Amino acid sequence: MTMFNLTTDQRVDKALANNFLRQATRRATDRLRNNKYKASDELGNWEEWRNAGETIRKHVIANLDFYLHQLIEQMEQRGVHVHLAKTPADAVGIVRNIVREHDAKNVLKSKSMISEEIHLNHALEEDGAAVVETDLGEYIIQIAGEPPSHIIVPAMHKTRQQVADLFEPIAGHALSSDTPTLTRFARIQMREQFLRGDIGITGCNFAVANTGSIVMVTNEGNGRMVSTLPRVQITLMGMERIVPSFRELDIMLNLLARSATGQRLSSYTTILTPPKKSADSDGPEEYHLVILDHNRSEILGDKLFRTALNCIRCGACFNVCPVYRQLGGHAYGSVYSGPIGSVITPLLEKDWKKWGHLPYFSSLCGACTEGCPVRIPLHDLLVKLRMRKTQSGHTPQVEQQIFKAYRYLFTREKTLRRALRLGAHLQRPFVRNHRITGGPPPLSNWTKSRTLPMVAPKPFMQIWADLNNKR
Amino acid sequence: MTNTNEFINHLASKLGRPTPTETPPPVEISVPQYRLSNTEERASIFLQNWQALGGKGAIVKSENDMLQCLKEWFGDLPITWFKDNPQALIAWDMLPSIAESAFSTLNWPLTRYTQSSLDPRDRYSIAAHAELGITGSDLGIALSGTIVMNSDPLRGRVVSLLPPRHLAFIETTKIRNNLFEVLEEISALGTPPAAIEMISGPSRTSDIEMDLSIGVHGPIEVYVVVIDN
Repeated sequence: MTMFNLTTDQRVDKALANNFLRQATRRATDRLRNNKYKASDELGNWEEWRNAGETIRKHVIANLDFYLHQLIEQMEQRGVHVHLAKTPADAVGIVRNIVREHDAKNVLKSKSMISEEIHLNHALEEDGAAVVETDLGEYIIQIAGEPPSHIIVPAMHKTRQQVADLFEPIAGHALSSDTPTLTRFARIQMREQFLRGDIGITGCNFAVANTGSIVMVTNEGNGRMVSTLPRVQITLMGMERIVPSFRELDIMLNLLARSATGQRLSSYTTILTPPKKSADSDGPEEYHLVILDHNRSEILGDKLFRTALNCIRCGACFNVCPVYRQLGGHAYGSVYSGPIGSVITPLLEKDWKKWGHLPYFSSLCGACTEGCPVRIPLHDLLVKLRMRKTQSGHTPQVEQQIFKAYRYLFTREKTLRRALRLGAHLQRPFVRNHRITGGPPPLSNWTKSRTLPMVAPKPFMQIWADLNNKR
Repeated sequence: MTNTNEFINHLASKLGRPTPTETPPPVEISVPQYRLSNTEERASIFLQNWQALGGKGAIVKSENDMLQCLKEWFGDLPITWFKDNPQALIAWDMLPSIAESAFSTLNWPLTRYTQSSLDPRDRYSIAAHAELGITGSDLGIALSGTIVMNSDPLRGRVVSLLPPRHLAFIETTKIRNNLFEVLEEISALGTPPAAIEMISGPSRTSDIEMDLSIGVHGPIEVYVVVIDN
């Protein structure tokens, strides 16, 4: 994962220099966003649906202990093995043990952001299991050894030719780069894998507390394959991914499909209430549910950021974000990118040194907040995260000094006047057409890509005084 | 491995109160739900939406209609498939009677999935090599062009999944306006079946350059016969 070894600035420069990536990101986000508008408009009153979504999510999070307990009870009563993981390492350990116990050689995966969050594949491969990502986009980035660049379209940054080049060594012959050929290759390749799978690992879009059900949506049908064919199934779930009952599920599924891809419902929406009944002909015989905390409980206890747990992972905020649009997902450096990734990554990972740049990957325009189907105040949370980072003392020395100077000057009128006069004088070598260009660091960090307005030759306070004198 | 009580108590402490002992009162939900006036309209909108997703479909009123429709879609292909593979047409144990008699009249021999082999792996392989999977439906959704199927010992979940073509039958009276009505009806039945599959059109992906491509994993061609009884 070379992207992870670069600094933030290097990743951003790399993204900005990649024309295909930027074009593809623009095209994809435009398409997804416009589809969402169509699908949300036709519902009649989208705002009422958003209200309902927000109310349900807030209610669930405020009663998360109750609903989680209910879910666990329902599942265990029916013989599902429920595992609770405090940390990513716990979750990886649990899955590893299950895979070892069954001596599983072929592990099939449908899309799961939790598995990305805990970096599961690598650990299983170390144990000698072959792990196959079955979502086409995830399969592509698995071969490339890269993290997803979009939560819904993980291989958005790859050209068809790059995909063909990745598939060719597996196919053992040249492949044309048209989509039907590539899709067909993946279908044939994956078919054999599906029928050989020992264990299936899936994600979970929603868990229904009062029935003990897991809801999974896919468009390709790989989620159905992975949850039907292998004898053992493991579902990975973030602990906040709950709805109380089928009644609320209706709202959430409508919001999810429409916000993610502009569909009324995804091609395959599957509600599993495991394990299979003894007489059922198909379906896994053994079912494990792994519920992950990974500092979600810390977010729950933090009133400033609790709403971040309301997210339903639809990706709508990615598709309206001007920063994401310019950079794509890899520049963020995190598993979750886009506005919601910038919010939850620092909270989940609790490492300002590594993730402190994320709250600044935003113009604070508020488009993410507008676009969110459950009304998470994302841009507001980003500002609050900047505050947290500052309070924790992790901002650069230069920035701290500049703000100290700012405070010093703006609380002393005479000194401020003097400083402005001095500034008007010092800026001279850098002024072109009434704008400041170039200059020494830290000024140059700004001016290398844009200009600053010059300090006015005559300060406003002077103009005001002159006007008064004339009267 | 964390113990459940410890895990739940930790959350309660973060929420600053003990865990409620009774189900919290459900939130009020009021959203404008999509409704059509009658069965006929629901059937026709269902079909339109199914076709818009790339599925083929028709409303039939009699066995004769049904025969015509099946012949038009598949011609003599089932006979040809059968010559190469006697298990090319794989079906649920029970289909709507009008469909059963159409298949006998056409002389298209169906293999009943659940009886095709005792070993599940063999059954999966048989379904994967079949040309056409044939199922009924429990419910339908007009708004999204969706068919809904509950798992059941006499059915098999893979019949609608592994073959490259899926043919489903649905009675007009089973088509509901929206997802809410479907979920309400299913939850009224008590414990849900092990799997409820909601299928809206063929398998699709836009993962390569956002170019829509049909049939990456699930069926490539999907057909629905709406039976107007």
